[in-house]
Amino acid sequence: MRLPGTRYQEPGWEQVRKLLGACSLEAFVRVDPAALLAPAPRADTLALYVDTLAESLHAAGRTARAAAAGNGYGETVGELALGLAYELAARPADWDAFRTALAAEHARAPGFWRQAGGEALLRKKVNDMFALLRDKVDADNYQAACGRPCSPNRIYAYRMLDTAYGEIARLFAGWREHTAQVGAILGRPVDVSLPIEVRQLQSIAGCRPEWIMRWSESLERFTGSPGPLHTKSKRFESVKNSPGKIAAMLAEIGEYEALSGNRDADWLHDQDTAGAWIEDYWRVLDESAQGATPGPDLILEARQDEMDGMEDMGAAAAANAPAHAAAIDDDPLEAVRAEAVSLPPGFLSAARAAEDPGSWAGRMLGDCSLPVRLAVYLKLLGGADDSYPDAWHDPATGALPTMQQLAALDAVSLPTLRKRRDAAIAMLEAAPRTGG
Amino acid sequence: MKTTSEIDRKLQGSLLMRRRVEGDRLLLADAVLLAALDGSRPLSAGERAALQASPLTARRLRTLALARRGTRAAANDGRWQGSHGMLRAADGGAALRQLATDDGYWRLHFVDGAGAPRVILQLAPEAPFAARLLREAALLRVLDGAGAEVLQGRLDADGECECAWPFADAPAAHFQRHGAAFSVLPVS
Repeated sequence: MRLPGTRYQEPGWEQVRKLLGACSLEAFVRVDPAALLAPAPRADTLALYVDTLAESLHAAGRTARAAAAGNGYGETVGELALGLAYELAARPADWDAFRTALAAEHARAPGFWRQAGGEALLRKKVNDMFALLRDKVDADNYQAACGRPCSPNRIYAYRMLDTAYGEIARLFAGWREHTAQVGAILGRPVDVSLPIEVRQLQSIAGCRPEWIMRWSESLERFTGSPGPLHTKSKRFESVKNSPGKIAAMLAEIGEYEALSGNRDADWLHDQDTAGAWIEDYWRVLDESAQGATPGPDLILEARQDEMDGMEDMGAAAAANAPAHAAAIDDDPLEAVRAEAVSLPPGFLSAARAAEDPGSWAGRMLGDCSLPVRLAVYLKLLGGADDSYPDAWHDPATGALPTMQQLAALDAVSLPTLRKRRDAAIAMLEAAPRTGG
Repeated sequence: MKTTSEIDRKLQGSLLMRRRVEGDRLLLADAVLLAALDGSRPLSAGERAALQASPLTARRLRTLALARRGTRAAANDGRWQGSHGMLRAADGGAALRQLATDDGYWRLHFVDGAGAPRVILQLAPEAPFAARLLREAALLRVLDGAGAEVLQGRLDADGECECAWPFADAPAAHFQRHGAAFSVLPVS
């Protein structure tokens, strides 16, 4: 199923889920799950898990599973898994839920992950976390893409309808073997002649809501388990008895499928990395600051209390960010360190010379060491970006040095570099935009 | 106002895009965001605060901003609704040889055809709509600043269209007296 903006709703998700599970188990070999539980601080454990997971995902990048297509936009399973890992890094509440689930199991059976069957249980908890996260992420993607409100639950409902349609289409295709069930779906007995509806059903757009409702209603009779609209769960309460809502959702899935199937990759898609739009963002803020439209504010379902205090979160993080004096200045050790990680001896001074000290980032990160600054770019924009000066590249790879190389250049451990990098990013997030 | 480099813009964009707020939702309607983007209605103070507090709303703004930019790019590319130009420096008595439109895609050449002056409209081959206009042999007209027709015709294979200068005054004098401007327009 594809909807505007969504990336995790196609059959490739199964492989994304498996890859995240397998790489998480690898990560838990290197980081004991017990070390992730309270009282270890939330932010540190989240960063540690995401970084270890990301390394494992990078290492798996060339496997057949990771390289397979993950969705119809040309994103691979590996890219989608990595994207979700980074989403988790920005959503500490989801991490908290995982830690709570882990702690509860740990209280029941201490160190359960080391016991027989414990690995499967650990994997299941990871699966649960990412399964919820993908719908949250896609609900947000959908809203950003088309401007209509959408909840994770609504994404789940779309997917249920899509699956139901798939089931109905399958039954229709084999209608001779399933005359009774097809009859229950159509609401009239089916005899030996081909029902016209079976011939007419071409896509989800042609699926009628009453078929979905009758399919769900009669499912228990044919398979022993109740249909999704007929369980005790309140999950689909809002659509359950509303054929109009179901019809609209089916039509939307069908419409977008037809539309996106006809286009090349990534239109209406969150892949555009060009920075031009940020000018529009600053302009909108500036114009409002210079001549705000007098009230009333046109805020959707304004709930002011909910928003209070949001803006201060970044500032608090910045206040905690330690300042790092620029430690390296034409240090003769630089050359030694650079060569130890297979970089040209003059790498740091050349990279420093290629920086624009007057740039916004240059000014904001002036107190950080150069390896920390490069680590910030590595995390935010990736290893290769056409806006990087050549002098920042490792000539061997044509990309920024890796975190391991940068840590060696800075003569700090990898966890320390990560910590400093994340503090620098927190500082940027909270930074006022001055002069540009 | 700003001299933000591409790398700064990308960094700032990435910083904005990676923010997440638990329970975030769209706080501003598309109509409000679009009116702010086209400058017709700046955000109110409360709306500005909402945009800054809600990463999801900022992402929606990004989608709309990119769509606007995409539409504008598409409009510049292939579609063409006319080009305009002006008579530049005060003419020091020398005969006018040529004029160009502001977008640089068209030139008007003035030649003296044995006592009978002629005007040639020439399309720059690098114009984004050049291929289409040539393929369609579109009918074009050139108007002076007062709206009178200087020329009408179709481009030849070289992207040119030529005819006799239709006015009594020489080109420099004529344009000076008629708005000191000209337009090249498609005839629809």
